[in-house]
Order: sequence, then C-alpha cells, then structure tokens
Amino acid sequence: MNQPLLEAINLSRTYKLAKGSAGKGKAFRHALVEMNLSINTGDRIGIVGESGSGKTTLVRLLLGLDTPTSGSVEFKGQTLISGKMPWLRKDVQIVFQDPRSSLDPRMKISEIIREPLVCLGIDEDHDARIDEVLDSVGLERAMRDRYPHELSGGQRQRVAIARALAPRPGVLIADEPVSALDVLVRDQILELIAQLTDKLGLTLILVSHDLSVIARLCNRVIVMKDGAVVESGNTREVFDRPAHEFTRALIGAIPRLPESL
Amino acid sequence: MKKAMKGNISLITGSVMVAITFSLLILSFIWTPHDPLEVTPDDSFAGISSKHFLGADKLGRDILSQIIVGSRVTLLVAALAVTIAMTLGVSAGITIAVASRKLQAPMVYAVNIALAFPAALLAIILAAVYGASTLTAVSAIGLATAAAVAQVTRRTAYGILASDYVLAAHACGASTWRIIRKHVMPNLRASLLIQASAVVSVSVLAESSLSYLGLGTPPPAPSWGRMLAGSQQYIFVNPLLAIWPGIAIVIVVLGFNLVGDGVREVFDPTLRRSDS
Amino acid sequence: MSLLEVNNLTIAFGDKKVVDSISFTLEKGSRIGLIGESGSGKSMTSLAIMGLLPDTATVSGSITFEGQELIGLSDREHSHLRGNRMGMVFQEPLTALNPLMRIGKQIAGPLMIHKGASLKDALGSALELCTKVGLPDPDRVLRAYPHQLSGGQRQRIGLAIALACEPALLIADEPTTALDVTVQREVLNLINTLVDQEGSSLVFVTHDLPVVSIMTENIAVMQLGQIVENATVASLFQAPKHEYSQRLINAARVAEDAFSGTGGIK
Repeated sequence: MNQPLLEAINLSRTYKLAKGSAGKGKAFRHALVEMNLSINTGDRIGIVGESGSGKTTLVRLLLGLDTPTSGSVEFKGQTLISGKMPWLRKDVQIVFQDPRSSLDPRMKISEIIREPLVCLGIDEDHDARIDEVLDSVGLERAMRDRYPHELSGGQRQRVAIARALAPRPGVLIADEPVSALDVLVRDQILELIAQLTDKLGLTLILVSHDLSVIARLCNRVIVMKDGAVVESGNTREVFDRPAHEFTRALIGAIPRLPESL
Repeated sequence: MKKAMKGNISLITGSVMVAITFSLLILSFIWTPHDPLEVTPDDSFAGISSKHFLGADKLGRDILSQIIVGSRVTLLVAALAVTIAMTLGVSAGITIAVASRKLQAPMVYAVNIALAFPAALLAIILAAVYGASTLTAVSAIGLATAAAVAQVTRRTAYGILASDYVLAAHACGASTWRIIRKHVMPNLRASLLIQASAVVSVSVLAESSLSYLGLGTPPPAPSWGRMLAGSQQYIFVNPLLAIWPGIAIVIVVLGFNLVGDGVREVFDPTLRRSDS
Repeated sequence: MSLLEVNNLTIAFGDKKVVDSISFTLEKGSRIGLIGESGSGKSMTSLAIMGLLPDTATVSGSITFEGQELIGLSDREHSHLRGNRMGMVFQEPLTALNPLMRIGKQIAGPLMIHKGASLKDALGSALELCTKVGLPDPDRVLRAYPHQLSGGQRQRIGLAIALACEPALLIADEPTTALDVTVQREVLNLINTLVDQEGSSLVFVTHDLPVVSIMTENIAVMQLGQIVENATVASLFQAPKHEYSQRLINAARVAEDAFSGTGGIK
C-alpha cells in the first residue's frame, strides 16, 4: 500500500475556555477527538458537519495553521510542525469561506495573488504567473489593479482561488467556498472548482455543510459530529444508504423542491 | 456623497489652519514686526495700534512678534512629541500584539502602568534632573502619550491579526515580519493617522500647560503656553493678552485634528468607493 | 380588505433605488415568500413594512396594513404596531437580542408595552411562550442570557418575542440562514405550526428557494428591487414565466439532482 499524501493520525485539539460560566475550575472544549484520516493523491474528499463539528479545526490543523493537542498530521510522510513550512505550503493551499474577509482590503488584486509567489520563493516570472491564473479562474487581466471591494462576491472568490492556485499546489482545500455567495454565483464557483480540479489533477478537500455541494464535487465523504467521524465512504453510497443516524438526520432535514416536470 | 464632502471640508479647513501655523513658522525666520524680546516701557499694555497690531504686554513687547516666534516652539514640540510617541507606541503595540500569549500579559501590564503615570509628574522629574527646557517637556509628553498610542495600536493590530486575510497570508507562507509590513501596517494606517493628529493636539496643549507651570520652555524665549500663563494676572486689565495665544493654540490643535479626520477618509479605499 | 397591501412601493437611498415600485397583497391568514439574491431589495421591503428603514431612505408608494397607511407614519405611531400587530424574526438572533438582559424580560417586554401587562403576568406568559416554541426547561431559559443559549434556541426565543402579542402579521427575514441544517428544519417546522395555530399571516424573506417552497403558497421573485414574478409555488415551479425565476429554479434543481444522484458534475 502506498503512503497516503496527507494523513491525520490520532489528531486531537482541545481548547481551554475562559473560566466556565457554570462551576469552577478549567473548562475545555474538545474540538477534535482522536481523528484519523488519510487522503491519497487524486482524492476528492468532502467533509460534512454542522457548526461545532470540528471541521474548521481539522482544516487548520491540516494546513499547519494550528498545533494539535495530541496526535499529528503528516504530509508525504513528513510531520507538520508550526512555522512557515514552505515544503507544505507550495503543495497545499486553501480557499476560505468569505472572500470579503479573506482578501486584504488594502491590497490590489495583483499583490494578493503575488503573495504566495513571493513568500514561497516561487522561481518564475511572477507577473506572467499572475496573468496566467487570472485567465484560468476566468477573470480579466485588467482586474490586476483593482481593489477587492471593487469586485463582486463571485469575482472575489475567483481571486481567492487564483491566489491558492498561483504556487501550483497539488492539494486544494476549500472551506465552505460558496456559502457566503449568492445562489446563482455558487453554481459558477462550484463549476470552476470542479473544472480546475480536473484540469490540474488536484487533490480536493472540500468542507461544506451543504450535502449537494459535496455530492457535486467529491467521490468520498466524511461526516463529522462533535469532533469525530461518524461515517465515511463513497459519496453516493453514504448519501443513498446512510448508515449513521446523524447522517440520516442531515439528509432528512434538507428541504425538497416540489415535484414537477 | 455627503461623506466625501464632509471629509473634504474638514481636510480643507484643517489644511488652511495648519498652513497658517506653518506660515508663521517660516515668517519667524524672515521677518517680525518688532524684536519679540524688545522691551519698550512706554508701550506697556498697548492696545491694538498700527505700531502693535495685536497690542503689547506689560513690558511693552510686541504680541504679534511673540506669537510669530512662538510658533517655533509649538511646532517643534508637536513634531518631536509625535515622533517619540508614534515610534515608541506603535512598535510597542505591534510587538505586544504579535508576542506569544505568555509574554503578552506582563507587557500589557507595563503599558497600563505607563498609562497611569501622570505626564506632569514625569515632566517635573525630568525638569528636576535636567532643568526645565522644551526638550524635557517634549520627552515627558512623548513618553506619556506613547503608552496611549501603544494601547490603541495593540487593540487594532490584534483585530487585524485575527482576520481571515492574515490567516490566508499565513497559509501563503508569509513570515510574521511580512505580515506586519504588508497587512498590519497598511490596515493600521487610518487608526495611526487619527492617533498622530490626536498626539499633536495633546502635545501642543500639554506644552502650553507645562510652560504655564514653568516646566517647559524657559523664559525669555516666547512660547504660546507661557504667554498665556503670563497674561493670567492681567486678565482683567488686558484680556487681549490671553486671547491671542489662546486663538493660536486653538488654530493649531483644531487644524491638525481636522486634517487627521479628512486624511483618514481620503486614505480609506473602502470609503472612497462608497462615496462614488 | 386585505391584511397587507403594498402598492408601488419605492425605496431609494439618494439616487439609488433599492426597491422599485413593487406591489403585492397578502390576505389574512395567508403567506407570501419574498425571494431574491443580495441587493434584490427583499429585506428593505420587510423593513419598510416594520417601519425600520434608516432615516436616509426616501420611501414612496403605499403600504396599508389592517386598513391603515404605514407610509408617513411617525416612528412613535409605527411602534404601536411593531411587536404588537406585526412581529419580526431576524436572521441573526444573537445580534437581535439584548446581550445584557435576561431572556424572560426580553419576551415580557412587548407584553408590558403593548398589553399593559404587569411584569409578573408578562413573565407568566413568557413561560407559556417558551413552552410553545418548544424550549425544554423554560424556567432556566427565562433566567438565561442570550449567549448561554444555542443558535437554534435563540431563534426560538426570537420567535417567542415576535409572537408574544399574537400579531396578525409575522415577518421572518432569513430566519434560518445562520442555523445548521438540522436545526433549520426544526425552526422552519415550528414557524409553520405556530403561524397555522395563531392564524397569522406570514411574509417569509429568503435567498433559499427550497426553503421558501416548503414555507409559503405564494412566491414573489425579486431582482434588483423589482418583483419579476409573483406566482403560486406550484405554478412557479411548473412554468416559471421570468427568465430569472427559471435560473433560480434551475440552480436549485441542479443542487437537488446532484444530491439525489441523478445529476451533478461528477
């Protein structure tokens, strides 16, 4: 068996809370409990969960943006430590939920996309690369000199995708990439992510509370609740024949459209 | 629309007021109607006349000339105090914001202690050790306001560091130094401008009060604060003596405040958009 | 006479029209959904009915509620209707509730203001309301502060406050957008039941077509400040007349098909 590309081993993260409102002593919140996960090259894995399920904590740990309380994350067999880790960042990039907050309001679009190229010391013509990624996310090159607030929500999320793709990563993590967007824009962004994943042969980790988003883009799904995995497997199988009660509740809660032809 | 107009009005009014102060400064090196220190007993408490446009004080020294020359001390104080307060305050504030949690607590305490320390007391200590001068007054003012600047900077920087775009920068492999330079500083700019203009105002007022207490610029060099102090005992004999330096102080303080306000709106790209 | 009649309502900020001469009516006991994307003017419409538009807005046209013209009403006059004859549930219950006041007093508030109830009586009714909106352990909830409750519980409180005075009209503005999917369903079901029980009318504002289609019998589709189509749910889904409604329906269908395995990208 080959070594997995990205692997979480007994990963736990506990937050110390400010003095609890009830009772004395220290209160803890177990955001992630003994989680194991292995992701292989080419996987398109969806992570589903509600708020407090630990999915955002997991994303931060997979990116080495947070330190686990116990356990570890390994990328290509190398353990993540805190710090800059250019070997990881060149290959694992992220698109955040809300492009209104994930793009620095004082930076021009070109500076935003240039950031990973500079920070990771990517050895190629940065301006040419910026134009190239703008093309591939379907933005005009003239956008380079704009500021984020001059763009629509969908355009901003395209910029965030361009920034993530600029250093030619092999793994793209998308954390609720469409939930802050308008309904009709969501489709376009999902289509774009699907198309880029295909074209660039990306390994995709997609976090969403929306099962239909996962169904559209992922072949594997992991259902999380209270910091642990309750069910995982092939997306179609899990959605068609959910084994866990919580998965069934999630599916049952989705409002259905009226039948019509 | 309204906002832009308002920003421009405060910017224009403020700039005019600051420009007046700076013209006085330049004028002080070129020409004054009289030697500001020239004592002419005949003109004691002279009113407004063609000889003394703004009148003369008890010793018959020309008020206008003193006001013109006094602008030197005022602007020197403002420039030095802002430099000291902003350099110390901003670097301390950012250092605390990026420091690890364990180091943060003692540093915040230190700033709070500095904040509680009265500027006047500091000025008295410095004056006692080095003798009262413009420089001791400025140092006291600069150090005392630096703590306030550090406090505000820390809070604002803390918010910026918690933002998604800083998280995104970390994910891009940005170093702490780069994040400070490229993300924290530009986003702090608006808040720093407001603070700087506040420091100017505070320091001009503080220098006036310290001079008034005899802890600032020593006589005979004219300073607006000391002119105000000197006029106190003659306030009923000749109120003009208090009014002229008072107006000068108001113009410079208000001017810098308005400029700070106006510049902030011009600098903020998001405000600019919503105006159009 | 209809409960609510909106006629050529136009709301503008400066030169910018956010709502552009829209009209619709709502009969007593019936429901309408306002659906649209951000900037469609749907929330502005609901705020106009509640009299909660910012002072900078210029409003023209007419809104009649129980035969009374609302446009031009002073804030004081409008406040007699708010929380009394019309109640509103907001998107983010945490910001809609006062963080420093216990839940009990917040529910009791409208009863004391509008019905002249004593604090004791109002708190008694608050207890009943808590039970009605399905909150377990209502005694504890009444003594709690908003931050001590979960998002779903807070939205139930929001509903209890809105329904405290048995309003003729309930306006729900994206009431479940901030909630988890499973909680969303519970809150939607609750709104459904309570509105039926009370015989109130409902204006349901949302961007989410599947949600609105299970909540109301009529849907007004809003785009850029205009109602582009106003139809029953059934006819809207069978034969959408406007191209924009068609696009919204398609997007929802694509999502649903993807989920049920009959379509999707992969």
